Amino acid sequence: MRANGRSLYTPTPMHVLRAYYESTDRSLKTLELSFDYTEDSQAFFAAFNPGQFCLLSIAGKGESALGVASAAWEGDFVRFTAQNVGSVTSALHKLTAGDAVGMRGPLGNGFPMDGWQGKNLVIIGGGCAFSTLYALTKHVHHENHRDDYGKLTLIYGTRTSGLCMYKHDFAAWHETDDMEIHQAIDVPEENWLHHVGYVPDVIRQVAPSPDNAVAVVCGPPIMTKFTLPALTDLGFTPENIFTSLEKRMKCGLGKCGRCNLGPTYICKDGPVYSLAQLNALPADL
Amino acid sequence: MNFILEKQALPDLLQTWRANFDVYLPQNLERFTHFMPLAAEGVTVINEPHNTRIPPKALFLPMTETLVKFTRFGGYENAKHEIEPRIVFALRPCDAQAVQLLDTSFLQVKYSDPFWLERREKTITVALGCHEPCDNGFCTTVGYGPFNKADLDAMLTDLGDFYLVETFSEAAETCFNGFANASETICVQALEVQQRAHDQMPVAFETENLKEKLEQNFSSNYWDKVSLSCLGCGVCTFLCPTCFCFDIVDETQRRERVRNWDSCMFRTYSLEASGHNPRPSRVERTRQRLSHKYVYWLDQVNQIGCTGCGRCVRYCPVGLDIRSMLRQAQSLPFEVSHAS
Repeated sequence: MRANGRSLYTPTPMHVLRAYYESTDRSLKTLELSFDYTEDSQAFFAAFNPGQFCLLSIAGKGESALGVASAAWEGDFVRFTAQNVGSVTSALHKLTAGDAVGMRGPLGNGFPMDGWQGKNLVIIGGGCAFSTLYALTKHVHHENHRDDYGKLTLIYGTRTSGLCMYKHDFAAWHETDDMEIHQAIDVPEENWLHHVGYVPDVIRQVAPSPDNAVAVVCGPPIMTKFTLPALTDLGFTPENIFTSLEKRMKCGLGKCGRCNLGPTYICKDGPVYSLAQLNALPADL
Repeated sequence: MNFILEKQALPDLLQTWRANFDVYLPQNLERFTHFMPLAAEGVTVINEPHNTRIPPKALFLPMTETLVKFTRFGGYENAKHEIEPRIVFALRPCDAQAVQLLDTSFLQVKYSDPFWLERREKTITVALGCHEPCDNGFCTTVGYGPFNKADLDAMLTDLGDFYLVETFSEAAETCFNGFANASETICVQALEVQQRAHDQMPVAFETENLKEKLEQNFSSNYWDKVSLSCLGCGVCTFLCPTCFCFDIVDETQRRERVRNWDSCMFRTYSLEASGHNPRPSRVERTRQRLSHKYVYWLDQVNQIGCTGCGRCVRYCPVGLDIRSMLRQAQSLPFEVSHAS
């Protein structure tokens, strides 16, 4: 049982605070949800860690696992960005401010922030998988946490400039000298001032230093597949490369069996794994 | 405590229990036996030398069960189930062992399943040991046995006209209150029966290094061979007492969110919204089923996740036999791991 006597399977009542499209093609929509009850908010933020995910619920449609795209300091709300692909996410896309929605979470382990203290962070994202990395960047970039970490490098690739998420923050981050940003798109576009090419190639070109550094990779499977060897070639050890996995999920509690990966469940023991951990697990992805 | 239970006294005893408990025991249903609540005029068929078709896991994890109710304005409420105190009678030790294995998933410290927990707390399990080996069973091969006592409240041993009842909990002792204590001679006699039953179970395959062999041959064409005739019907997982995968779906008209048994042998089980499927064919799905039972359970709780009940062998429509699959796995190459 959780706060308010809800069972593990009963979603927390939330409502939409803001809803807006994230990409110019309207395939990505961001929802900022706020809690109906203060106790739920307190319980959420007491447990929350960047890299965790929640199950968003629409009664009659089902539940969908989405990474949390906001940092705790931003305020009393939780942000998600959903791609319109299935029945639940298309229902999520129809939500507007004020609508009711259910949420279970935070679930999963999140990023091992304690182990990363004092290290340089290389954050590598691709497409809409950037959401939890956005939460991570926001968390690290905040003045209360910034001194806990070393140099911050951000590498983010999307297919087109229109699919780039969180454009306002990127615009602001380009202005700061606090982090090194490399943005990329797959094919050339007019007025594009940054890299053109795939993320693994950009990484080889940028060549972030592996000294006292941790690389965090989150992107589509094909990007991850080619990014991990690129990082290894640059000298990052498997213990210092992290990625966040995804599989079909139902319960989010390590019971329904769906996201089973070797002896672990991605929902409960993941979604964040180091490459060293992944190397010891079967290639069942 | 050890009691003696005359076989002719059994029907009356079961009816006595009915006053305070729901009594579930195997009864005839079509061509099979099935765990059902005992009625006032109930007939018992506990002496069939085989298991029920549907394992008693269904008494703790029903095939379909409501988890959440939707309220009128998009809200959610916990589902409530009326669960009466129960006695599950004459379940076989392999199935009782399976329930204990499932506890390790459903009763984890952080995420304890409230529905499973309530059913477990309100249930007394009285097992019937298997004094004759059943067809297709291989409990001793996987480290359990026909009189395996793990996680039971009481166990019956058939000694002809009567049963020896061994109780392992106070709740079970109360159930057999008033019955004569068993003498030492009878206990010795029962031990002999139990030992003989254990010895009669054939060794179906060698388990030594089986985990390493399956683990290290993840990409072997062994999996193609053993899955070739599989139809993907899922009966092996559906009737497996240790399989616990479930799906969660919304029943819109009932305004409920329910969980239903699911199977890793189905294509849509792991199919993602993007179209990607980590286990696209029956080869990967067969590998998942066997690896979960004979590799992953061992990593998680150091127990084989198969209790050797034999259902997957008995009910497979194309005669796929997990024993033969694992015998074939024994000839796979492997390296001894020095990790531990």
